[in-house]
Amino acid sequence: MSEAETARAEAATDEVAASAPRRAVSLAARIAVVLAKRAVLLSVLLAVVFAAIELLPGDAASAAAERGESPADTAARRHLLGLDRPLWERFGDWMTALPTGDLGTSARGERVTDLLSAPLPNTLLLGGAAFALTLASALALGCWAAARPGGPADRLIGLASTVTLALPEFVVSVGLLLLLSLWTGWLPAATMTTSDGSPASWTMLIMPVLALAVPQTGWNARIVRGALADQAAAPHVIAAHLDGLPPRRVLLRHALPGAWPAIATGAATSTGMLLGGAVVVETLFNYPGLGTVLAGSVADRDTPVIAGVVACTGAVISLVLLGADLVRARTLGARP
Amino acid sequence: MNWTRRQALWAGGSVGTAALLAACGGGKDDTASSSADSAGGTPQKGGTLRIGALGRASATTRDPHGVQGNESDYLIIALVHDTLTAPGLKDNTVGRLASGWKSSDDLKTWRFTIAKGATFHDGSPVTADDVVWSLRRLRNTPAGAGRLPGIKAENITADGKDTVVLVSDDANAELPLLTRLATFVLKKDTPDKEIAKAPGTGPFKLDWFRGGNARLLRNDKWHGGPVHLDAIEVTMFESPQAMANALLGGQIDVASNVGAVAARTAASRKDIQVTRRPNDMAMPIVMRTAEGPFADPKVREAMKLVVDREAMVKQVLSGYGTVANDILGTGDPAYAKDIPQRRRDLDKAKKLLEEAGFDLATTYELVTTEDIAGLAESATLFATQAREAGIKIKVVKQESGTFYEKTWLKGDFYTNYWGTNDSVVFFASKTMVTGAGQNEAGWSDKSFDDTYRKVIGTAGKKARATSLRELQQIVHEKSGYLLWGMADGIDLASAKVRNLPKLPGYGRVQLENVWLAR
Repeated sequence: MSEAETARAEAATDEVAASAPRRAVSLAARIAVVLAKRAVLLSVLLAVVFAAIELLPGDAASAAAERGESPADTAARRHLLGLDRPLWERFGDWMTALPTGDLGTSARGERVTDLLSAPLPNTLLLGGAAFALTLASALALGCWAAARPGGPADRLIGLASTVTLALPEFVVSVGLLLLLSLWTGWLPAATMTTSDGSPASWTMLIMPVLALAVPQTGWNARIVRGALADQAAAPHVIAAHLDGLPPRRVLLRHALPGAWPAIATGAATSTGMLLGGAVVVETLFNYPGLGTVLAGSVADRDTPVIAGVVACTGAVISLVLLGADLVRARTLGARP
Repeated sequence: MNWTRRQALWAGGSVGTAALLAACGGGKDDTASSSADSAGGTPQKGGTLRIGALGRASATTRDPHGVQGNESDYLIIALVHDTLTAPGLKDNTVGRLASGWKSSDDLKTWRFTIAKGATFHDGSPVTADDVVWSLRRLRNTPAGAGRLPGIKAENITADGKDTVVLVSDDANAELPLLTRLATFVLKKDTPDKEIAKAPGTGPFKLDWFRGGNARLLRNDKWHGGPVHLDAIEVTMFESPQAMANALLGGQIDVASNVGAVAARTAASRKDIQVTRRPNDMAMPIVMRTAEGPFADPKVREAMKLVVDREAMVKQVLSGYGTVANDILGTGDPAYAKDIPQRRRDLDKAKKLLEEAGFDLATTYELVTTEDIAGLAESATLFATQAREAGIKIKVVKQESGTFYEKTWLKGDFYTNYWGTNDSVVFFASKTMVTGAGQNEAGWSDKSFDDTYRKVIGTAGKKARATSLRELQQIVHEKSGYLLWGMADGIDLASAKVRNLPKLPGYGRVQLENVWLAR
């Protein structure tokens, strides 16, 4: 929040100076500072991930071991994987290689970048589509409900969004599978891939996207509705009302702009939820994404793979949060 | 490789969905599964087989000598590369890249002849040097000692262009069995970096591989005979239920090793073939014989009399399995079918426990894992059955890693599993002979050890069979294994698929004889 305040102060100063180049420089500097902060945060997160995996029982050497292996064989494997070195040393090596794009090697000897090269774009596609759908439908529903506060539509949307936000992705997925695939045969139940590792048909994306978007739409619709309600009580909105502007215009031109910061923050939180929900949804629909990689690598205590997934998703979430911050800064800063 | 312990980790994954999905299987007359003639007719050439296999994206590997935790990886590797020998139906071991083998009189030196006309996919002939290099590479992996036990890397040598010589540390009449599973042959000196694209000698060549999925094309020049299919497309599935859904929706033709839950889901569909491969998985209860409450053979016998085997098979395996007789190696052609089946006898069990002075006031902990579907359930059901004999058992579930670190090979009382169609001798050598690396029950029995040495040191078929029968009798009477049943391996296939392999264990990856009816 302090960032937002700084932004407001800075924006205000800028307003006085009214110098466009200076504003651009200051914006770039601000973004650089925020990015640096996020990078530090991400490194801390990765350190925590390394430490957390260390605390789990077993390690990658025993997880990848075959039943025929003697303790000496497993020890050899442990040495091969470098697991006999101290944690901070392994973390340091992994982190220093990170800027070069090297994410290390999995417990089975595959390069982590290879393991993630196909799943990452797939998950971004899935998450991005679900995010866009969530945002669009949450805005539409929230605005619709806010247009007639207390009316039947408002109450229905309020109830429905509470129900859907409480639905786990698992339940939504199974329901969709039954309805759209096994009973009607309209959509393919599982995702098949082509030689480039992407889904063979866009129809295979529909159910996973819906399964992820439905609970998040419930959540975001409530935020949109709430933010609009707050704005409805703001003096300038009341004034617009009293001026006799059409309700639709008041909602879209006067109330919605002030609601953006809250909506952006809500949507940004959804990014994390979408990527988290992907673990379940991807498994159920056999969607070749990061979620399935993550689930398996945790079971295998495969630290470089887990850290690679965390680094990728962490970077994505950081960028989205940065976007939300910028929206806040713009909105709050623009109004002195 | 048919005993990697995580091969079926994911099988228990989505039982929850399955329960929901099973309800929608279409409720018409649903007696037995369809049995569209799966072998009949003249093979037709052509077509692409779309097969699903279980695997996890994080665990994919392309190294034929690496640790293949994924069935999908093993399937792809086994279609592209040949092993020296392969599992067979009538004979436990049949030739693959090796056309024949012969042992010295002392059963220590074994000479394998490479099949005539065997070539790599790039056209170059397979030489003994290639095989020696590959076997040594396999032997030098961390798991190498377990994969080629008793054979040192330096004792694998070439003799001329087409003969490979393996010298075992001890006499071993079943050495060719060891070369059935992971002895994939690559070209000599293939660098690690190029392993993924290295040409194999198998019935199919790799077209592409991406993220665990692959497309394979027929190798027209395969030494093993004509291959019917044009191509095989392998899709990796994280969960058996997603795989079954894909099959029901017509997205794939075969769901490989999909398990009993999915088979039940598909049972009402007349257009789906259910292939049951018997003797696929053993889930024995292990009792420590070295010390502890089960050290007395009378106690162990009592436990073996307490279990209701039919109920276990029916409930734990959904009926997809068979009752077993406490002898491991049920798929072995030499398995002693004539040893009378042990049945439930609570009175006799109680009497034996009393004679042994077994403490019925104590609660005994039975440790289990959820590594494969049904394992934890088997422990729970057994505990319930034992209560009827007055034995108090508490089931303790352990996370897989913890189990292998803390309980396996050490615990008094635990469940375990072996995916296998290996021989009786294989189990004897791995898990029962004194000092064996994986002697799970801490068993040491002089008469057993003597008989075992007689078996592996006897070349004559008849004398060997007699000793082998004797060996199984000892296992049946005294060992620490309570083997109540064997789970079937289950594949689902659409109606047009013909000639799917019927063998248990990794016998199922031999798809070169499969063809598609049109």
